[in-house]
Amino acid sequence: MNKEVTVGIADMKIVRQEGTLITYALGSCIGISFYDPMIKLTALLHIMLPKCSNPSDTQIFKFADTGIQETLRRMSVFGGVKSRYICKIAGGARMFEVLGSSSLANIGEKNIESVRNILIKEQIRLTRQDVGSNYARTMRVAAETGTVSIHTYGKQDIIM
Amino acid sequence: MEIKNYDDIGELALDVIREVGSIGTGNAATAVSELLSANVRIKLPDVKIAGFNESMTMLGNPEEPVAAILVQMSGDMNGIMLFLLRMDFINAVLGTMLGKTVSDYTELDELEISALTEVGNIIISSYVNALSGLAGLDIDLSVPAISINMLGGILSVPMIELGYETNKIMIISGKFILNQQQLDSNLLMLPDIRSLNKLITKLVAGHE
Repeated sequence: MNKEVTVGIADMKIVRQEGTLITYALGSCIGISFYDPMIKLTALLHIMLPKCSNPSDTQIFKFADTGIQETLRRMSVFGGVKSRYICKIAGGARMFEVLGSSSLANIGEKNIESVRNILIKEQIRLTRQDVGSNYARTMRVAAETGTVSIHTYGKQDIIM
Repeated sequence: MEIKNYDDIGELALDVIREVGSIGTGNAATAVSELLSANVRIKLPDVKIAGFNESMTMLGNPEEPVAAILVQMSGDMNGIMLFLLRMDFINAVLGTMLGKTVSDYTELDELEISALTEVGNIIISSYVNALSGLAGLDIDLSVPAISINMLGGILSVPMIELGYETNKIMIISGKFILNQQQLDSNLLMLPDIRSLNKLITKLVAGHE
């Protein structure tokens, strides 16, 4: 069966054994996939911002810190073991070439940095990444293998 | 009334925003008419308040390529102006200004891209000028930037910019009609909440 589950913006989904997780057109946002090969448990998280600054914000998947934390918690509920996870990330682009050091120009970069730091702190292996540059990416994750494919406009797909 | 959230905006305020939007887009239409020496009108603008995923769906398919011109507002109003244009609008502009057309975004060369950026900039500035004149607000505009890429990635830019304060965005959009034909384009204004409060105070207070 080829079930496709869409992950929205500031959203996270988990599938087991089969199916595909997909998140469309990541710009400066980052798609983070976690795969536990032992039990074929796969999560895909789509974050927008590096850090949660308002504890009462209910959309926890909007931020890298709270989003990753909650994803890990839910995966462990399904029997996932953190030390087995394989993580891949995509996105963090700079969509517009704007002058100066405004947040708009640097947010992709900040997102990448924040995600990497959190993964190091959580001791999760980041095996592959396709980040930065100036174009949007659609990210697909196959639940059975954890294989990620990246689709971009006007370029060849990347498998990682 | 001070709003904290886009959902708090009352019907009256929405009407006023729509009305102001139509003056802004009217001004923008005149600018484009002169530029293209053609009859250009803009449909009465739509004002929508929607969550991130919902607004994405409203504007198109996240993976479809579009050309987008972005200008940042600062001063009395903070936020982003975004002009999204697709192939038919691009060809209307290029046909008139440069006497040629293209069949795909990847064919656009540097001169054509800078012509489109300029048209987008004229449309955005005339919209904002009408608005700032009407509301008595001093709004500064940044240098325009262009991106030709997937719609989703482009829309994530204003969403991220406003993302710390809101889970919804307000989109004021207008569609252009050139020589009776509706062109696939959107002019979007995405103000932050503080600026929206200023706008409402200036414009609505007198009516309540």
